[in-house]
Amino acid sequence: MVKFIQKTDLLAWLEGIMRERTLVAPVKEEGVTRFRPVEKVADIVMDSGSTDLSAKDWFFPPSEVLFTMSKVDGQAVITPTTMAKEAVLFGLHPCDAQGIALMDLPFLAEPTDTIYAEKREKTTLVGLACRQACPECFCTSFGSSPFDSAGLDVLLIESGEGYIVQSTTPKGQKLLDSAKVTEANVEMPQPPAVNSVPIEGLVEIAPKLFNDAFWNRLADRCIHCNMCADVCPACYCFDIRDYTGKGGLVERVRTWESCQASGFTRIAGGYTPRPTKGARLRQRFYHKFLYMPKQLGKIGCTGCGRCVRVCPVNIDIREIITTMQKSGAKIGAGSS
Amino acid sequence: MDSTKIIKDKARELLASKKVECVMGFERATDGKTARPLFAYTPEETERFIYDQTCVHNLAKFLLNWKDKTTAIIAKPCDVRSINMLIQEQQIKREKIYIIGVVCSGMAECSWNRVGPTQERCTTCPQHNPPIYDFLVGELVAEKEPAASINPKVADLLAKPPAERRAFWNEQFSHCIRCYACRQACPGCYCTECFVDQLDPQWVGIRHSPADNHMWNTVRAFHLAGRCTQCGECQRVCPVNIPLMLVNDELTKEVGDKFAFQPGMDASTLPPFATFKKDEHLGIG
Repeated sequence: MVKFIQKTDLLAWLEGIMRERTLVAPVKEEGVTRFRPVEKVADIVMDSGSTDLSAKDWFFPPSEVLFTMSKVDGQAVITPTTMAKEAVLFGLHPCDAQGIALMDLPFLAEPTDTIYAEKREKTTLVGLACRQACPECFCTSFGSSPFDSAGLDVLLIESGEGYIVQSTTPKGQKLLDSAKVTEANVEMPQPPAVNSVPIEGLVEIAPKLFNDAFWNRLADRCIHCNMCADVCPACYCFDIRDYTGKGGLVERVRTWESCQASGFTRIAGGYTPRPTKGARLRQRFYHKFLYMPKQLGKIGCTGCGRCVRVCPVNIDIREIITTMQKSGAKIGAGSS
Repeated sequence: MDSTKIIKDKARELLASKKVECVMGFERATDGKTARPLFAYTPEETERFIYDQTCVHNLAKFLLNWKDKTTAIIAKPCDVRSINMLIQEQQIKREKIYIIGVVCSGMAECSWNRVGPTQERCTTCPQHNPPIYDFLVGELVAEKEPAASINPKVADLLAKPPAERRAFWNEQFSHCIRCYACRQACPGCYCTECFVDQLDPQWVGIRHSPADNHMWNTVRAFHLAGRCTQCGECQRVCPVNIPLMLVNDELTKEVGDKFAFQPGMDASTLPPFATFKKDEHLGIG
């Protein structure tokens, strides 16, 4: 016996949620799937595969006002952005949950990003297990899998006319109070097979390949469009600027940025520590494969495959991992 | 002989004889279906070259990174027009480039793991023969009259009242995530510092507001007026599917109508916005 919810009851549950909270789910805009607050349950793309833009949109949007500043009676008053009501992020795949867990590492570390922390606190995560694996995804390389509930408050696994319901947290349990969940004799489906990419030894190999010609050769075809960073659930570089509006109101705005942009590391006086395309491209992969594991404890990739899909010149992270391992093996063999 | 074989042989010969330092072409991508750019430096690497309808990338952009090297480039007619545009704007030197021009009958709509039908822009393209080349792949064909080359969607949009057009673009630009991939892919976008990246003065806000998104997308298009060779790279790479070619094609049409100019057809005619004639009066202002 498993906990089960019929498809029609699921929709009714979501409609109920929408009356009290902001429901954020995959929708289609001009053929692009992304997480957006929804107005109608019918707009939700239930079978989205992995969305084109990742779920980081909700916690770390492309552009957001962090706080406003105004002058009242000669005193500066700072008003941080707050969340009006609680939210439910629906339709996350296990790799999306992994992505959020990776985002937590920099944003929730001391000093905590309070705006991010508030969103995390007030958002309940509802996942949909993957019934199909994308050809470009490799979540199993990072310890996740198509039916993985890690990091989610509720996981739904489609089976027949409904979903098997798994809740792993009190937050998830509370959200399910309003759902018509029954005990049913439903068979647990088989998870789809995922093409794993071996990642063993990646962190150890990386420093040895820092000056390898490979990075410049790869950068030959990179156009530094930075889309890989934009769609990546684990890329968290950003830019901040202040804007003065009507009545002297100042807004501090944060937007996505990429370490691969030529201006990203430029400092006062015009000096750029990473002046070449190869150095900038390498930085993105080294941040994932070396600096994040060293500083925050985890490799900065979930194996969602979005960057593979979006890259206009086919810079394929799976191929890079494999090449690094092969080159590392060669270096290892040479030194022994 | 098929195009791939001809290209491989030529590339091998050019590298073996040290006539060029690098040959830019295409190889199969990791999805096994589409293509990606390949930069061959040795005769051995030329074995990886392919050429078919999936070789959609305009490699002219990469010439900008190679100013001091002698380079051979596999180029379709729209790519050759970009090369002409870059020569004309004194960004690259003709004598440094060996053009392997390919006669083109249209490219496929390609994205990751998917090869679709012929691209829309190719169905109205006026140019099937590369305007210049050092080596030709394929047989030259008779060209269509330019009159048949206007994107019909431009006329449809222009027939609508201004308010409707504005609403259409506001909606389209609202999806923009300001990744600037359109700029990065465009051979015509080579400013050392793009206006959108300038801090002092700051021309465009970084926030994704309707006004700032409109500003970026409109100015990007205007900077390409009379320079765009309609290679379609901006639209191909856009991650949120903004129909950028629609605005580019409209500007191409305006420049064509007013100045009888087609960008990149040769490297010597000055583009309309790089020249001024005293008797020129267009009824503007």
